[in-house]
Amino acid sequence: MPQYSLINSKMLSIKLHGEEVYAKRGSMIAYTGQVDFAPSSSGSEGLGGRAMRSVTGEQMSLMSARGTGEVLYAFYGLHVTLIQLSGETFFAESESLLAYDGRLRSGTQFMGSGGMQGMLRGAATGSGLFTTTLEGAGELAIVSDGDSFALDVTHDRPIFVDPQAYIGHRGQLQSNIVTDVGWKSFVGQSSGESYQLKFTGLGTVYIQAAERGGNR
Amino acid sequence: MILNHQTLPANGNINPYAFCIDVTGEMLIRKGKMIAYYGSLRFEALGAGPFEVLVNEVLNSPLQARNFVVVTGRGKLILGDRGHNLASYDLEDGSLTIRSENVLGFQPSLACHESIIPGYLTLLGTGSFVASSNGPVHFLEPPVKVDEDALLGWADMPAPSYRYDYNYVRGALRTVGALVKGWGTGEEKQLDFSGNGTVLIQASERGVQR
Repeated sequence: MPQYSLINSKMLSIKLHGEEVYAKRGSMIAYTGQVDFAPSSSGSEGLGGRAMRSVTGEQMSLMSARGTGEVLYAFYGLHVTLIQLSGETFFAESESLLAYDGRLRSGTQFMGSGGMQGMLRGAATGSGLFTTTLEGAGELAIVSDGDSFALDVTHDRPIFVDPQAYIGHRGQLQSNIVTDVGWKSFVGQSSGESYQLKFTGLGTVYIQAAERGGNR
Repeated sequence: MILNHQTLPANGNINPYAFCIDVTGEMLIRKGKMIAYYGSLRFEALGAGPFEVLVNEVLNSPLQARNFVVVTGRGKLILGDRGHNLASYDLEDGSLTIRSENVLGFQPSLACHESIIPGYLTLLGTGSFVASSNGPVHFLEPPVKVDEDALLGWADMPAPSYRYDYNYVRGALRTVGALVKGWGTGEEKQLDFSGNGTVLIQASERGVQR
């Protein structure tokens, strides 16, 4: 079983004992031992998943590492968060995903079931109508600009999230796009703020303190 | 750590990069800096809607008013800004001039004026505001000379003036200096603060390009 640990808030260490780990391409910064790296476009999802991915356009740029040793990962100084899954499904923005291993099954999920609203969600997040899913028991690592944090959603407490700050979610959540008329009624107000992602149900939403695509 | 509407701090930092405001009345926030909220909040532009009093008394610079929206209602509002460090500051019958893009929100008990220095605004009165900075804010006492990129703002003191490095001036006045571009250290022009008050600086205006 690969062992995940954080060396500091921006550096991840994974110890391998013969398993295969999938990580964002270009994120390996050092390794010890005997580890082989290979490009991988689909991670642990098999042939059907690969076909699905090429059709849907939800691309992940991954590489796999297999062997025995320790691999260090970091990505442009972004913060790393470890998330523990115990059998449930995690929905992630593919560009926020740093690393996971074969214990989790990856796939794509159609998010546009809400018709026009689903379309808007894809347009607003810039990541299409499909999102990457990871299912199983094990760890995964995500990267975020600024510390990420998790917010609870309960049936009587929906949450509204800026699509550009959204990283992922878990649990029984429905997402849809809400538009605030007040925002749109103002000329020139297209800062990506006029669309908000509303999550209802029971689960947890992960967000970062930065807007993707924002110039720094 | 999973937070909800009750465990979120009321007017405090969630982490160094995210700040939570407990909205109970009106609040002005910079457009595009909301990252999430709980509760029933409305975001409305200053130009449209029933905010004539605010426009008249709080924010009457069209240049700045375009960058801010009014939040009304009740709820927990979370702000974030490009992964910069966020903090809340209190003004007590004070005057603070600050880089405009770093002001993320302020109470309408403060008046927001457009500064004569482009890109800066001045907050006057009593109230609190939320500002971002690249790295934590460092406070300095005058007399001090500050790099323009690192300047965040200054409080309760006269506006700064430019000061040029002596060798730079001597070189620039010579013909060679005028002909050769890009010589020097890039540190020959600073902002010079004098008098009483406080100067606020940050690690840099810009993050690393990537």
